[in-house]
Amino acid sequence: MAFYRGEEGSVKFDDAGSSNSAITSTRSWSLTLDKEVLETTVMGDTYGGNVGGIITGSGSVEVIYTASSSDETAAFIDHINTPTDSGSASFELFLDTSGDKKISFDGVVTSADLSATVGEIEIITVNFVTNGTITTAI
Amino acid sequence: MAAADLNTIRSTIEARLATELAGSPVVPVVFHNMPYEPTPNSSWVQCQVSFGDNDYLTQGGTSDSDNLIVGIMVMNIFTPRGVGPGSNYVIGKRVRDLYNRVNVSGVYFDAPSGPEALASPAPEGYFQTQVRVTFESIEEL
Repeated sequence: MAFYRGEEGSVKFDDAGSSNSAITSTRSWSLTLDKEVLETTVMGDTYGGNVGGIITGSGSVEVIYTASSSDETAAFIDHINTPTDSGSASFELFLDTSGDKKISFDGVVTSADLSATVGEIEIITVNFVTNGTITTAI
Repeated sequence: MAAADLNTIRSTIEARLATELAGSPVVPVVFHNMPYEPTPNSSWVQCQVSFGDNDYLTQGGTSDSDNLIVGIMVMNIFTPRGVGPGSNYVIGKRVRDLYNRVNVSGVYFDAPSGPEALASPAPEGYFQTQVRVTFESIEEL
């Protein structure tokens, strides 16, 4: 049995949706996958019935601000400021350092929380929702 | 990037104090694990740099990742006993100003605490105050 720790995770991103690159200085990421439930219970049934519906995802990535511009970090942070967003930005959320275990999808950045507190490192939290297929290779 | 050299951080911190106290008026300074026999009724400073609890900063393995190194420097300021605190606080201001919220070669110093007068000086025979400054450095692996 293998165990994994949070520091083994990482995030890759490409705002153009083609060639993902690492986002440096990620502190954490999270993803919640939801499936709508459609009730199939009909008159005369004794027990309720449900089937799965549309699957969606939402989550966040916490990044330390480093003014990095040589990779996708700046594009990721600034993606909230994209006025016409087709939802084609590519995300990969990794669970281990080997790069084999990941969740990938296209998505839309929905918000970015920027903060600066005295005595603390500056943190930016980027929130997103998925767009289309979600691939779980875990 | 590479693992942090703690001696580089230590020497960065200590060199700043040594340079300041070598200026006029000169105040002898002694660091960790150094022998020193103070002259009675003289003024001198003892500086102790210690590293404490470190923390993860970013995700990643043994490369392309960052840790937070946290430490504290404690400066004990000794001045002659029985003549008031003035000369002690003059030295206290010098050392406090030296580290107050500055960033020296990637070592971030927080707001200093003190100079705090100590009721039981060690060694005895002096008026002793203490200035404490926590610091942080980012290790880029």
